[in-house]
Amino acid sequence: MAVTHMRLLLVEDEKKVADFVARGLREERFVVDVAYDGAVGWEMASRRQYDVIILDLMLPGIHGTELLRRLHQQGSTAAVLVLTARDSINDKVETFEAGADDYLTKPFAFAELLMRVRALLRRPPTNRAHVLRVADLEVDRLTQQVRRTGKRIELTLKEFALLEYLVAHAGEVLSRTMIVEHVWDKSFENLTNIVDVYVRHVRAKVDDPFPTKLIHTVRGAGYSVSEDKEP
Amino acid sequence: MNTRSLKFQLIGWYAGLLFGLFGLLGVSTYWALRTSLAGSLKENQLRRARQIGQLLREEVQRQDEGGVGREVQARYAPDLNDRFIRIARWDGGLVYLSPSPKSQSFDPTALPPPRWSEAQWSEEVEAAREVPLLGGRRMLLAGHAVKMPGENLYLVEVGAPMDEVQADLRHWLVFLLAMLPIVAAIALGGGYVLVKRALAPVDRISCSAERISSHNLSERLPVPHTGDELERLSVALNHMIERLDAAFQHSRRFVADASHELRTPLTIVRGELESFVTNAQLKAEWRERLGSALEEVDRLASIVEGLFAISRLDAGEAASEWVPFDLAQLAASTADQMGLLAEDKKIQVTCTGSTGMWVEGDRARLKQVVVNLLDNAIKYTPEGGTVSLKVEAENGQAILEVADNGPGIPPEALPRVFERFFRVDKARSREQGGAGLGLSIVKSICAAHHGRVEVSSEPGRGSRFRVELPRVRPSASHDPGKNEP
Repeated sequence: MAVTHMRLLLVEDEKKVADFVARGLREERFVVDVAYDGAVGWEMASRRQYDVIILDLMLPGIHGTELLRRLHQQGSTAAVLVLTARDSINDKVETFEAGADDYLTKPFAFAELLMRVRALLRRPPTNRAHVLRVADLEVDRLTQQVRRTGKRIELTLKEFALLEYLVAHAGEVLSRTMIVEHVWDKSFENLTNIVDVYVRHVRAKVDDPFPTKLIHTVRGAGYSVSEDKEP
Repeated sequence: MNTRSLKFQLIGWYAGLLFGLFGLLGVSTYWALRTSLAGSLKENQLRRARQIGQLLREEVQRQDEGGVGREVQARYAPDLNDRFIRIARWDGGLVYLSPSPKSQSFDPTALPPPRWSEAQWSEEVEAAREVPLLGGRRMLLAGHAVKMPGENLYLVEVGAPMDEVQADLRHWLVFLLAMLPIVAAIALGGGYVLVKRALAPVDRISCSAERISSHNLSERLPVPHTGDELERLSVALNHMIERLDAAFQHSRRFVADASHELRTPLTIVRGELESFVTNAQLKAEWRERLGSALEEVDRLASIVEGLFAISRLDAGEAASEWVPFDLAQLAASTADQMGLLAEDKKIQVTCTGSTGMWVEGDRARLKQVVVNLLDNAIKYTPEGGTVSLKVEAENGQAILEVADNGPGIPPEALPRVFERFFRVDKARSREQGGAGLGLSIVKSICAAHHGRVEVSSEPGRGSRFRVELPRVRPSASHDPGKNEP
């Protein structure tokens, strides 16, 4: 992971949430500043230029929406990812109107937060290449063909979408919810067993005939594709 | 007609009372009439008996007892006037008995003997009695006792058939009976109109009350400003609905607040655990255990999410979009997307129905209805079974039906399947990992779209879930190709 020197500001009053998010982001080699209330967050944001601000809405001091408005007025170029425990429609609309770039509802999977931060940095972690490779597995996005050791593997549309998503994020753990939302849509969010069924089908075609397994199950977290035995 | 309804009872009472009054009036007028007619007849006969008594007294003083018969015959001609006259002596002798009347209406010899008890030993006692004649006719017999010197006692009796009295009474009775149906009609008709007028507001109130359920508790009953008991009733009912509304809102807010408050700790637990399950430095066994804990955190999160969604839907919060779309198309594409789930259990999913079944609402939400119902059907149908999805129109409604041939739902569980956290087979459902909220969410989404969902089941043969949504006209501006969310 070659993401470096990106400076992030995390404004979150729940200390424990702030701690694990900051720790996780630092492990991904981001530089992370943390503010535990709105006023401090505003002070830090106006003193320094950040690439991404991760902002909780329910803040003491200055409320998240107010902070958003001020950043907007100030002409801040930082992308803002809003974290909130509220997800009613009106809140969402209001937040976007106030200038947020993305929105994440608690409780979230850290992997998803990471993915959204990367997306906001306009530096997609995914390979833009037409052909994705992990070990001897090749996924061709243009022709929608999959080969392993040069042999063609036939996949259905959904199976291909699933494998492509996993391979594009090779080395990362993708949660079932993330996979469902990417391959299907949000209406299936409670139907995470569909992911297991599809993964089993993809494995039967991609992994079972070969000695090296590429698709790994990370219990409690989701699935990942990698060359190593352990993700 | 419901015989226990207030309307029926009131009409019954009203008509019964009117009838009773009429009956009372009939009986009393009948008796009054009878008394008055019989009284005047009696008066006439007694007067005559007195006159004959006077005659008798004169004749006896002249020592001509037998002459009285001739005198009476000459003066009164009882056989021509249809009268009965008898003069008897105390020692048993008959002084005079009128001959049979010309009309043969009675036989003078067949009439009962004189009743001396009435005469007594007093000077001039008068008494009248009624004696039966043949053919149900009656005769009024007036007696007048005449006491002569020498302890000689005579009884003069004058009788007249009561035919005229009886005929008059019969006429009156016929009149009363003829009035009966008219009175009945007036009593029932008048009662019906009165009661209907009085109870119409009650009907309106109960109709409105019927419409109010937990989903539209903000509605109120119409209050008629009549100042009567019904106004008070509707005001009282409205107060009750208000309190119910407050209680419901309170419980909804509690659920929403509770699920909201649970999110932050869940975020922390999940975040902390996640960093461990992907940590390669930990032993695989530890990661496995932490992963198991994380799975439960996910389940907890999905329960919290579900409860929050239900409380928002029930509170009538605005949907994220409100557009017309084709339900049949949505159903077909969803079934297609879920095909592999069914295939995995060798379950055949058939999807039938005509396209163009336009409904209006939040596509993502309604898709969730299809997803949850199909998921449910696939989950509870054994391998090799069939699940059918059908979309059709009925009475201006769009009907979506998901039927399976699984084990079905026991009748006692049927009314509860839409309740939160209700599971038919607890052990099995937990194994499947459901939160027990899928069908509650379906119900709430349907209600939020002014529709409803019903379930029917035959144990051993399968279950059938039926969703009814109001159909709308397709909008011309809408591109059917964009239906898929």
